[in-house]
Amino acid sequence: MGVKTEVKNGLTVCHVEGEIDINTAPEIKKAFDRLIGKKEPKIIVNFTRVTYVDSSGLATLVEILKNMRAYGGRMRLTNLSPKIKGLFEITKLEKLFEIMADENDAISDFA
Amino acid sequence: MLNLGLSVFSRNKDRDRKAVFRIPSRIEHLRKTSSRILDALVRYNVPETTLFNIRLCVEEAVRNAIVHGNHCDKHLSVTIAHWAEGRKFFIEVADEGRGFDYRRLPDPTDSEHILRNSGRGVYLIRKLMDKVDFNEAGNRIRMMKHL
Repeated sequence: MGVKTEVKNGLTVCHVEGEIDINTAPEIKKAFDRLIGKKEPKIIVNFTRVTYVDSSGLATLVEILKNMRAYGGRMRLTNLSPKIKGLFEITKLEKLFEIMADENDAISDFA
Repeated sequence: MLNLGLSVFSRNKDRDRKAVFRIPSRIEHLRKTSSRILDALVRYNVPETTLFNIRLCVEEAVRNAIVHGNHCDKHLSVTIAHWAEGRKFFIEVADEGRGFDYRRLPDPTDSEHILRNSGRGVYLIRKLMDKVDFNEAGNRIRMMKHL
């Protein structure tokens, strides 16, 4: 698991690679805590290389979102595989997160 | 105590071979456990999404058994069984804890619970598997998925 961060059009884009589960959740949390510590106002998380998410991974993403909302930050998730997007739909977390099909759309629309 | 390599097999007229194995109550055994079960499914030519869902449910059930059932006590084990009946695939996960009241789990999709950091494991299992039962005590779960 890894998180690579880049800036595109002034927005922070995080590319998560691998599995977001009970084993990797602390590492994911730590990577995002650094951005949250800087009160990053908008973060896009690209899931292209995310192969698996479990309930601990979902809980970690919820916690990151809550921490961002606390200072008025926003987070968008993009490029989820159908299987992983299905988990967000089943758990109704799709209502909580801004989920978009494509990273470029998420960037251009994230005014 | 690590019995991942040792299985007990049984067979009757209606069932494919049943495998039973035990693991210690340690999180690092989650992936090995699900891999072992997915390996058993290779010959069934199962769709990738079904394999993904079975992996997720096995790991959620075993994680619950380790963390909530056995409280990560390394002296307690989790017993896993799996077998097929035709195209029905069964998985049982049992821990040595006192169980829990599976009838009274809050719905994690309710607005008052949606932001909680836990409580989605059993919900996902119920949604992704075709049949889910607990024993009366709540320390054994049986899941069935149509292959």
